[in-house]
Amino acid sequence: MSELGFEGKGPLREAWELFLESSIGKAGLIILSIFALMAIFSFVPPMIDPMYHPMKGVDPEITTSQPPSLRHWLGTDFMGRDILSQLLAGARVAFLVGITAALMSIILGTFLGMLAGYFGGVVDTLLMRTADVIMVLPTLLVILVLASLFKGLSIWSIVIIIALFRWPGVSRVIRAQTLSLKNRPFVEAAKALGASHLRIMMRHLLPNLVPLAFLYMTFRVTAAIVIEAALAFLGFGDPTTVSWGMMLQWVWKTGHMFKAPYWLLPPGICISLITLSFYMIGRAMEQVLDPRLRKDWEG
Amino acid sequence: MNLKTFILKRSIQVVISFYVILSLLFFLLRLSPGDPYSKYIDSDMTQQEIELIKKQMGLDKHIFYQYLIYIRNLIKMDFGYSFHYGTHVWDVIKNKILNTILLFTTSVIVSALVGIFLGRIAAWRRNTSLDAGLTIASLVTHTIFLPWLGLLLIWIFGYKFELFPLSGIYTPEIWLDPECGFLRKALDVMHHMALPFLSLFLLHFGGYLLLMRNSMLGTLKEDYILTARAKGLREKDIINRHALPNAALPVVTSVGLSLAFSINGGALTETVFSWPGIGRELVMAVSHNDYPLAQAAFLLIAIVVLLANVLVDILYAFLDPRIRYE
Repeated sequence: MSELGFEGKGPLREAWELFLESSIGKAGLIILSIFALMAIFSFVPPMIDPMYHPMKGVDPEITTSQPPSLRHWLGTDFMGRDILSQLLAGARVAFLVGITAALMSIILGTFLGMLAGYFGGVVDTLLMRTADVIMVLPTLLVILVLASLFKGLSIWSIVIIIALFRWPGVSRVIRAQTLSLKNRPFVEAAKALGASHLRIMMRHLLPNLVPLAFLYMTFRVTAAIVIEAALAFLGFGDPTTVSWGMMLQWVWKTGHMFKAPYWLLPPGICISLITLSFYMIGRAMEQVLDPRLRKDWEG
Repeated sequence: MNLKTFILKRSIQVVISFYVILSLLFFLLRLSPGDPYSKYIDSDMTQQEIELIKKQMGLDKHIFYQYLIYIRNLIKMDFGYSFHYGTHVWDVIKNKILNTILLFTTSVIVSALVGIFLGRIAAWRRNTSLDAGLTIASLVTHTIFLPWLGLLLIWIFGYKFELFPLSGIYTPEIWLDPECGFLRKALDVMHHMALPFLSLFLLHFGGYLLLMRNSMLGTLKEDYILTARAKGLREKDIINRHALPNAALPVVTSVGLSLAFSINGGALTETVFSWPGIGRELVMAVSHNDYPLAQAAFLLIAIVVLLANVLVDILYAFLDPRIRYE
């Protein structure tokens, strides 16, 4: 790099250092790594003893919800399943749901936004009007209606539906960026050389849009995690997975919410904290990319 | 474009959007597994009733004709029969609309006002411990998992300290007692509303606060603020008269944009606190497999959201004249 006259850090490195300057970003990252550890360790308890399996493992000596003990560090649920192993498994589900749904909605939003911006005209109007309608609809209630139509949804269909209803925000930003990019000299040069629309979009526009799209990733992750948790809490989650929302639904529906704080508190704290950590990281990233916000944020 | 054309254009957009949504629902119902009419026919119904419903919906006719009947029925506010209640869907829903509006609008408006007020203070006192405290408090309350917050509030204030009722909207004894006047009844409803209101308020005010704070910081750097300072105006006047009205504009837009998010929260809150509103009705309809009721509740919510967005746009155009000539 130094041959070209660039001394020192690349832009990514610089962004990372800026990110670390923000205490909100750092705190978010620390909380998030704890959850990542939880997700990794979720494989451990079932290996120790099959009774620690989050879904199927039942302690043969326990028939009701038990407070924390040496055998079950966080106690057990109403059928004698270990709450700690459920909590760890819930971290895995949260990451899976949050990250896949966010990735899918960002890919969809980037492509649709790029198409709208690049072609303009009818394509643009159609896509953006659709985006407007989807944007104002409450996603959770849409999924509820779909759940009533299709009689129960698996975790993957929930993820796909969340992605289908979460692209408009990204696509608007990408469209605006595409509009400003498509008249730049490098695109005109590609056109003059006879590049096809597809080539211009994939080789010239997309690489310039991807970093922007990823900025929106963290907020999509929080939205997806919260929607899945709420759906599970209301009793419309995938009955074969143990998510934190599902655990809360069990506490609530089995009437343990006044009796078993050891069971009510952990899943709610986890959902709130993982949302908070992604949210904090998102705000810190905004700060890195938007210099106007930098100085004022934390001084 | 003047205000009238602006309103007209947005209203036409609402009609089109609503039309697209209800058409999508119609075709999704046909795409879903099983006979679409099984969702309108309850196992308890007699053969005669089934025939009547089939005839009403044009089951024996072509799908295009069925679509026309569907639209006609919606215009007539005929959403079909609720299995769970055994009455017309509209009769179930119309009693719930006011309850939802009461809880929802009060919490959104109060949280937006408090958010603007506290956001102004945070921006004014930026980089002090007050600012840091407000920012952290808003981040935490804004990301807390709403149904869980509701359960905690019920557990602490309803069950442990017995300060507020655990669920519902009124105490039957008070409402059935002919001796009780309006004031007593209103106080009773407010007593029931306190906890659901508190949870929606806590969820929302943080978002508005953070937005207002950022917007205010941006506005304070504008040239006209510098001019106001140069004129020697008092700091208080600069903040309240010059910066605040401009900085509050994005908050108005965000009330509209975050309406979908707020309505999700409203439905969850209603369910947790057994508040008899539209959102809870939708959730219960889905768990009872009561499709006609679920569809009607959803369509009602959709039209309200669409209209509310137009209202916010009009309000915005009214507050900021530049927007009309865009």
